[in-house]
Amino acid sequence: MVAFRNSDTSGRITGLLLRCVLYSLLALGLIIVDKRYDHLGRIRRVLSVVAYPVQIAVASPFEGWDWFRESVSSRGTLRADKAKLEAELRLAQFRLQRYEALEAESQRLRALRDKTAEVTDRFVIGNVMDIDLDAFRERVLVDKGAQDGVFVGQAVLDSGGVFGQVARVGQLTAEVILVSDATHAIPVQVNRNGLRTIAVGTGDMGRLKLPYLPTSADVIAGDLLVTSGLGGGFPAGYPVGTVADVKRDPAQSLADVDVKPAAALDRSRELMFVWLKAQPAAGTGAAIAKSLPPAARMPNVPVPHATPPQAQPQLRSPNEAAKPATIPPPPGANDE
Amino acid sequence: MMREARIRRMPMALSALVALALAVLPLPPVLQALRPDLLVLVVFYWSIESPRAGGLTLAFISGLALDVIQGVVLGQHALALTLMAGWATHLRLRLRVFSVLSQCLTIFALLTGYQFVLFWVDGATGNPVTTFGRWLAPVIGALFWPLLVGALSRFRER
Repeated sequence: MVAFRNSDTSGRITGLLLRCVLYSLLALGLIIVDKRYDHLGRIRRVLSVVAYPVQIAVASPFEGWDWFRESVSSRGTLRADKAKLEAELRLAQFRLQRYEALEAESQRLRALRDKTAEVTDRFVIGNVMDIDLDAFRERVLVDKGAQDGVFVGQAVLDSGGVFGQVARVGQLTAEVILVSDATHAIPVQVNRNGLRTIAVGTGDMGRLKLPYLPTSADVIAGDLLVTSGLGGGFPAGYPVGTVADVKRDPAQSLADVDVKPAAALDRSRELMFVWLKAQPAAGTGAAIAKSLPPAARMPNVPVPHATPPQAQPQLRSPNEAAKPATIPPPPGANDE
Repeated sequence: MMREARIRRMPMALSALVALALAVLPLPPVLQALRPDLLVLVVFYWSIESPRAGGLTLAFISGLALDVIQGVVLGQHALALTLMAGWATHLRLRLRVFSVLSQCLTIFALLTGYQFVLFWVDGATGNPVTTFGRWLAPVIGALFWPLLVGALSRFRER
């Protein structure tokens, strides 16, 4: 069974050692340049375009199978799905009504206090490609890249909460590192009392850890953790996970806190790339966000920086109809 | 000589491409750690089978492709694969007369060396993967070797 049958069995291969050394030096040079300097980004981007057909070829049979299964699913299943989705949509719309009112209110109050509104302004939805990257690192490949304005460090959400951030950008694809990767950390806040800490990945998709909380910290199982927005990478206020288990060993100074991630890290297929409104100028993404007219970025909400205090009455008018009575009139607050 | 070498390159490139596609084929998480490094085995096979057809170039290019696809430091797999393909080419005459078991053991040694270079570059660039699972890969790869050689030599006959 194991047989080599070529005729080329004799002799030395001229220059084998030389070529081996040359190629190895070239590879070493690449490693050093890629690690030390940031010049290889463009080369990598071009190479990732070359790799794209292979990735597509691997992913498409699975997508085709999904499509096939969807197209032959029975009428009964579809009807049941539709009923369920309609119920969910009704509930979501019901919640959304309140959400918009609340967001408008929050914007107005922030504007009054002359603070920058750290609110997200633009989303792009990307699909996770059916590609396994590395068995020992928690990363996924998404079909949005530099040409969609995605940039390194960008926050990525799914429908449940924070999913991760962009680790590397190709021309057509982006690599997203999950919050559960062992090398990933995210600044969070306990929603109940505002306690700030950092959630660190464990390499296990179902678990994060809070390694920097003292045993005396006020954290209990069931607490919701949200992003604190500190550090600027992630928008504030998005759910990261819920505390699953707190172990306090009196002999240790730090508590052992397990967190269950809010995002469906192992199941999500659609991810949202987020642009922050007050994004510090970082690459193409910020440039695109800025090039949009303010109205396209967020309808009904004025840009806080642009409004001097005298403009407050104007500012109020678009939302007046939606929220007549819940907050005190801004001019009164302004007089103090 | 020249013409022979050109004929040989087609199956080389084709098998490498298929192996590359299989390297990113989605598997259930349980099986992911058990995935053999097929592309590495394919490169070894061609380094031993037709050493004059440019096995080292194939190794370097395949390594770069793995780097790009897996999103690690550019040159990591290229370095490991070039070194080990060079070693495999050096050992080719001995490998040819080995029994299946000895061949598997040699391949195991080569794959371990490959993992070691990867491990070393990972550590040197500051993101070490210390999971024990990565040292399982050489065992899996060595067990796959006879199957791969059988399949590839059949493929070459046609």
